[in-house]
Amino acid sequence: MNPLTRMVEELGPASYVLQAAVASLVGAALLLAFIMGRRAARRRYFGHRDERTRALRRQLPEILEGRILPDAWRRDPLDDRILEEILLDRLEIAENDEAEKIRFCLRISGLLDKRIHQARRRRGWRRLHTLVILGRMRCPEAIPALAEGLDDSNIQTVIAAARGLGRYAMPEAAESILERLEMNRLRLPANVLQSTLYHCCRDRPSMLLRALQFTDDQLRPVLARVLAEVASAELGEDLVLIASDPLPEVRASAARAMAGARPRLALAALQQLAADSEWFVRLRAVVALGMLQDPRSIPVLLETLCDPNRFVRLRAAGALSRLEGHEEEILERAVRTRDRYALQALVGEMQRSGAMLAILDGLGDPERRQNSRRILLAAVRAGAPRLLLDAVLHHANWRVRTQAARLLADSQSPEVLRLLRFYSTDTLRPRDRLLFAWLDRRLRESAAASSGGAVSVVEAPPRPAAAPRERDPGAALARENR
Amino acid sequence: MRSLILTVNDALFVYYFFSNLMYLFLLIFAVRASVLHQRQLASIRLERFRNSPFSPPVSIIAPAHNEGQSIAQSIRSFLTLDYPAIEVIVVNDGSQDDTLEVLTREFQLLRTDLAYVQEVSCHPVHGVYMSQTEPRLLVVDKQAGGSKADATNAGLNVASSPYVCVLDADSLLEKDALLRVMVPILADPARVVAAGGIVRAVNGSVVEDGQLRRVRLPRRFVEVVQVVEYLRAFLVGREGWSYFNMLMIISGAFGVFRRDLVRQVGGYRPAAIGEDFDLMVRMHRRLREQNVDYRACFVPDPVCWTEVPPDWKSVGKQRSRWQKGMIDTLWPNRDMLFRPRYGRIGFIALPNLWIYEALAPVVELVGLASILLAAFLGILSTHFLLLFLIFGYAFSTMLSIGGVLLEEITFRRYNDWREVAKLLLCCFAEHFPYHQAHLWWRLRGMWQYMRGDVAWGKMTRVGFAGSPAKQRAR
Repeated sequence: MNPLTRMVEELGPASYVLQAAVASLVGAALLLAFIMGRRAARRRYFGHRDERTRALRRQLPEILEGRILPDAWRRDPLDDRILEEILLDRLEIAENDEAEKIRFCLRISGLLDKRIHQARRRRGWRRLHTLVILGRMRCPEAIPALAEGLDDSNIQTVIAAARGLGRYAMPEAAESILERLEMNRLRLPANVLQSTLYHCCRDRPSMLLRALQFTDDQLRPVLARVLAEVASAELGEDLVLIASDPLPEVRASAARAMAGARPRLALAALQQLAADSEWFVRLRAVVALGMLQDPRSIPVLLETLCDPNRFVRLRAAGALSRLEGHEEEILERAVRTRDRYALQALVGEMQRSGAMLAILDGLGDPERRQNSRRILLAAVRAGAPRLLLDAVLHHANWRVRTQAARLLADSQSPEVLRLLRFYSTDTLRPRDRLLFAWLDRRLRESAAASSGGAVSVVEAPPRPAAAPRERDPGAALARENR
Repeated sequence: MRSLILTVNDALFVYYFFSNLMYLFLLIFAVRASVLHQRQLASIRLERFRNSPFSPPVSIIAPAHNEGQSIAQSIRSFLTLDYPAIEVIVVNDGSQDDTLEVLTREFQLLRTDLAYVQEVSCHPVHGVYMSQTEPRLLVVDKQAGGSKADATNAGLNVASSPYVCVLDADSLLEKDALLRVMVPILADPARVVAAGGIVRAVNGSVVEDGQLRRVRLPRRFVEVVQVVEYLRAFLVGREGWSYFNMLMIISGAFGVFRRDLVRQVGGYRPAAIGEDFDLMVRMHRRLREQNVDYRACFVPDPVCWTEVPPDWKSVGKQRSRWQKGMIDTLWPNRDMLFRPRYGRIGFIALPNLWIYEALAPVVELVGLASILLAAFLGILSTHFLLLFLIFGYAFSTMLSIGGVLLEEITFRRYNDWREVAKLLLCCFAEHFPYHQAHLWWRLRGMWQYMRGDVAWGKMTRVGFAGSPAKQRAR
């Protein structure tokens, strides 16, 4: 008996551990060797590949012109692969003329036919890979082969086929999908289906309207979502019909579609959808109304500004803040709703969109000042003092800042006094600090006066220009600034 | 006594055998999953998702605590992520430095009266700020809650997108990372409830303007060991568990979750030490109880670069905390063990975590003690022990090399062969003294947890720019 074998046998049960240890060491060594060997092999392969790629790229114009015949490069499998890759990459960015030349090259070289044949013959991930390449080729004659991929039993292959069809962005590619959907023969993840149809139905969205009638309730929201993205004037008043669909998801998509297609009856339909029982339908309707930018939608947007759902409220605020030329009217009517949350949402959005500046600028304009003061004072008293505090700190026009400070003082709002503490930080500039100190004093005085039954100063007359410097630093600073 | 020692030794041998067997299976299936993923990626063109109006919006939640030095850079890098619809929510968790001032200055923040609805519990919020220059940015300023979980909950309360992506404010996300991590969700939105990407160590790499310019290995041994650990944990462990739909953890540094589900389970547990692990376990519990068909996925290609502790002391603190976090989550959920309603989670994933993760340091300690005792009693077979040690060393080295191999055949972030050689060398060298120190840290973590010491502790970080900074002092 071999002495080594005898020694292992003498070990008894420990021989198993020895074997395991040896196996592990061999495993580790093999992995190491694999990593190093693979690195070396890849370096050699890629070196050769790079060399061939450079050569083929140099020859590309001649290949596309047909001066170098396909036989010259199709025989070598590496050249074949490299050139196909180069042509497909080029096709991604090519303009019309060049794209046609590339497709012509793919056709006459037989690459397209080879891939069509492989797409039909191959199975598993090889078929998937081929379908991806066929999708990238964007030669319409490959559509039937891609459509056959939709009937594969492997879902990944079906997805690859659908994505490939999506790349064609042609109604013909969508037909094969819609046909299978109507016959309930195709199940695809929603996002893949949406993306594919989105690209293929852009030129003919009416295809989707037809499919909407024949598909089941699981698919209809998906199709409606696509319709919402591709809707165009071509759809006309048909869109209004789906606004009354029993499925809320479809109604929501109809609202979105109407913002894009803008049919004649859009406003009326959207106003109806803004009162829907589902919050997300209302949300979509409000967003769509915002996109229409029609002043006639102000009343319904003000209603949705008080919606129980905060997202709807925020969108309504956003839509209202984008209605240019109606800022003062909107703020005034929002104050009248007596809904503090609604007002805060609107003020926040108006500040963000810059619409609030249009109202604040009125404080610096003698002709508009009275109206702006009235509206802003009402807003401050209704619970939005921060808008003026921000104006005091950040507005570019010093006159507006002092006017805003005066307005705050006149508001006699205890909330302003409370908020001043948060705003009075060490980072304030000296003149802002002076302004804040003045405002603080005024508010305290009025608070003391009102608690002692003193007269309230609701509409304080404008201060005389010659007001004592120490009494009114705001005015003084305004003068300095001028 | 002798028979007891022998029985313990046998039991430990069986324990070790099954542990290795499991890791071997994980390695094999991780390789398979990686290859499948690579093939799947070949059929996907990411720019389609990038330009698609159907990609669902994602709220990125980045809790920040005393991150004034790097916060602006981090936020800018989040805002430049390749994704069609994002909302970045920065939660200033009671920072004592100038985090809020920096944000206000850099992004022209304006305090808003946005309605704040507290759906999941967290410490009081002082205010919500919107940016005048960047409409996608929202800053929540809140009272310090003492944990990342509490801050993330505040972000969850203002998040308005159907998916939330939770990040560390001091992490670097690759430009297409969000798009890539969303791929399984976009492919199957009905089933996939969460997805996590890979976290890699940024130490040693070149970072400029919040972008990773060049990937390099760190110089110190303790940092390189962590690189190997991360590769093994993510590319072997998580990939393998994800293959069987038993992913129990999605890293808190980079994960995407369905917002409604996170809210349903009450958000993050503010007192949790390992909040990411705790959330995943509660999500599994909830979905299993509701008998929902779901998946939680690990995606190996989206990368989040994070700074790993640069010195032994900090690594020790971190590992002690991780051990505490594990027990802190496993113990309250012990009722899920071996209950049919929790399926594979209750029968395989959780028992595995108990036996091979939480209790592993204790088992190892008992093993060492029994060896010493056996030697003292004169019943120790030195032959057997030597062979056993060689086997253990060779097998765990093989697993580590397996992690490096997976990196090699898939993503190859470390291109230079010298760096790969360094990684491989580390696979051989990590067993001493790092492994022993690791054992000690984990035992210390268990001891601290039993004593009720659940503080995060201070973590030394060098910072991307190379300047030393004390961060996340919790």
